[in-house]
Amino acid sequence: MIELKDVTFVHQNGVKALDAVSLRIESGETVAIVGENGAGKTTLVKHVTGLLKPSSGTVLVDGQDTRGTSTAALSRKVGVAFQNPDHQLFSESVEEEMAFALRNFGFSPELVENRVAWGLEMFGLEEYRKSSPLVLSGGEKKRLTLACILAWDPEVVILDEPTVGQDSIQKEKLTGTIRMLRSAGKTVVVVSHDIEFLWPVQPRVVVMKAGRIVGDGPASTLMLHGSLLDSARVAQPQLVSFYLALHRRPNQPFVDPLEARRWLEGESAGQ
Amino acid sequence: MMWLSGGFVFRRGTSAYHRLDPRVKLLLSALMFVTTLLVRAVYELAIVLTFMIAVAALATVLRRVARTMAFTALFSAFIFALNLVFTRNLETSLLYAVRFVAIVVSTSLFFITTSPDELEQVMKTFRLPRDVIFAFVTAVRFIPVMMLDTIQIMDAQKSRGLELERGNLLRRVRNMIPVLIPLVVNSVVRSGELAEAMESRAYGAVPRPTSLVEYRTSLTDKAVAVAAVLVFAAAAYSFYFVLPTQLP
Amino acid sequence: MAEILEINDLSFRYPDSPRQAVASFDLTVPGGEIVVLAGPSGCGKSTLLRAVNGLIPHMYSGDYQGDVKVDGVSVKDATMRELAQKVGFLFQNPENQIFMFTVERDIAFGLENLGIARAEMRERVDEAMRLLGIGDLALRAPHELSDGQKQRVALAGVLAMRPRLVILDEPTSLLDPKTAAELVGLVAKLREELGTTFLVVEHRLDLLVQVADRIVVMNEGRKVLEGPPGEVLFGDEAEAYGVAVPAVTQVQKMLARDGVLLRRGLMTPAELAAEVGGRP
Repeated sequence: MIELKDVTFVHQNGVKALDAVSLRIESGETVAIVGENGAGKTTLVKHVTGLLKPSSGTVLVDGQDTRGTSTAALSRKVGVAFQNPDHQLFSESVEEEMAFALRNFGFSPELVENRVAWGLEMFGLEEYRKSSPLVLSGGEKKRLTLACILAWDPEVVILDEPTVGQDSIQKEKLTGTIRMLRSAGKTVVVVSHDIEFLWPVQPRVVVMKAGRIVGDGPASTLMLHGSLLDSARVAQPQLVSFYLALHRRPNQPFVDPLEARRWLEGESAGQ
Repeated sequence: MMWLSGGFVFRRGTSAYHRLDPRVKLLLSALMFVTTLLVRAVYELAIVLTFMIAVAALATVLRRVARTMAFTALFSAFIFALNLVFTRNLETSLLYAVRFVAIVVSTSLFFITTSPDELEQVMKTFRLPRDVIFAFVTAVRFIPVMMLDTIQIMDAQKSRGLELERGNLLRRVRNMIPVLIPLVVNSVVRSGELAEAMESRAYGAVPRPTSLVEYRTSLTDKAVAVAAVLVFAAAAYSFYFVLPTQLP
Repeated sequence: MAEILEINDLSFRYPDSPRQAVASFDLTVPGGEIVVLAGPSGCGKSTLLRAVNGLIPHMYSGDYQGDVKVDGVSVKDATMRELAQKVGFLFQNPENQIFMFTVERDIAFGLENLGIARAEMRERVDEAMRLLGIGDLALRAPHELSDGQKQRVALAGVLAMRPRLVILDEPTSLLDPKTAAELVGLVAKLREELGTTFLVVEHRLDLLVQVADRIVVMNEGRKVLEGPPGEVLFGDEAEAYGVAVPAVTQVQKMLARDGVLLRRGLMTPAELAAEVGGRP
């Protein structure tokens, strides 16, 4: 679905943001791209929709080279939710805001109506239909930008640092949304320096450092490599640290606190 | 936008020109500016322009100045054509066109070598009100930030299907609305946050704030200033009284 | 007077709003403590912070009841000039609180505003840069710096005013986990070295709980929970108020509830594993 072949990207000022990166994401996968600020995660995402073109190497989306395609065309298939909703909200009303992308992509007026209604309901924004998007709270704005994207139903959804500034209730909802997208068959890519909220979803994890991919594998195995995570300045999920510190432990690290509790119960019962 | 940023945005430099007192840099640019207005023949303008290019080279900003000249030349061509239509005089039209380029270069030289802190210093010397100076310096400090914001907004809107590269002029202007509105809104929000930060750090507590840095003119600065005035006087005299306006 | 902050029955309503942003809020903070203020979005945290540093009522007017005293001085009656020297405020977005084109000049901004003499300014600016480890950034331009660096510059500007109480508004929100941990370490160090009191609003609690003395939880303008971190996170209501209980603490809670775990106090993953793994 998405393929980066030996992609290198050098900024105008000579800084190499991506260094010979090769990555293949299949349809339906859930992938977390982690790494410290400046590791190249967002730069990589921008290459997927053609916002940036590689200095060398190729980026293919559904077989199409991004060099020959406009961002608008690529975005029809790959929806990107950027970190700051204030960089995109501009319409007179929430429903207009939701209709914006749909109209750009050539949806018929009836379809636009349908999709807007669906999105508003799905994300609990029905009461704000006629309100200005600018008066919504931070959390509501984030929901709105996500609703806008899902309205045009792209095959791939990329979330860039979705948890910045969110409280724990909002983060939980986000984890739920990612699960929903996954079960709907979408390819989900989450760029985040916060791995803790993604751990229950058990995604494939790609670790980036200084423009390179230094780790790529399922969360349950990759997150065990303390030294790799340390050098990439990525925090190890608490449950993994706990798991590793136990004398006796199961084959896989615990996915959530309840699983840990149950296993401990089983252990002490077996004594 | 590239033209504006290339021609007028400050970037750090280490040349002797950069290190001159900002007031002297202002004087130099002002003198060059006035000279371009005094000359009456195109070949004289060419001399002045060559001089400015030499100064730019000395100040290690030649590439940027050259690019500014190239972009300005496009506007100039328009001025040339307009003048030609109305005055039907080739010589005069050319004069105005080249003069425009020279004016832009002389002002550009000042802005690209003078940091916002130095601009502040200049404004203080001219005894402008403190609030005006502060607003100006803060605005300039945020220019690079706003340029970055603009790129990010454009990226976000392109990702929603907005076409910014294609279409006729009317369509492209209309397509700027989804970029301009967030930019303006963010600026307003930014002003509010800056106001809170200002208040929290006692802005306006005393009528005359003190200053961490002191700017003093060195002997070099004074020497350069005097030399510049002399060269200007000599040039002005030559151009205005001595040299012919028409070459034989 | 040992109390650095005394909030007595504070209530505040914005002019156009039908509901109270803060309602009957009480809080006493002794000097040198690190207090975390948590609660769901929209609970009134931002309003409360601004009532502490004086932006409310000096910059924002409204229906103000009750009293806030900082270092013995009433916020309502003092001027922003006085308050700026007692309470420092590090805002959430580092970019929008840096005014000058050079780092050291921005650090001096507050001091220039107070009319402090050049020699003393120089000393204080250098001291602030040393405390935050940014001496090498003195002549850099803010827009060239990383978010973490910008934040340190902004914090240096706050500390140069030598306030006894410093407010941090969601300081780790833009930082990656390692940089966030460094910031928390820095806050603890400043508390040790300078005796500064910190009032921190945060959603990401897992790092802060290790150094915090107290957590105060707000909801709909009211204080709903208060106590040492262990106590608050162990309570039944924490999750209901959007307080992020770290994963391992959740395990610890369950064990404690079932009577399996006897040792109290928040444990790190390693500590809990040792405690549990060592059971016969």
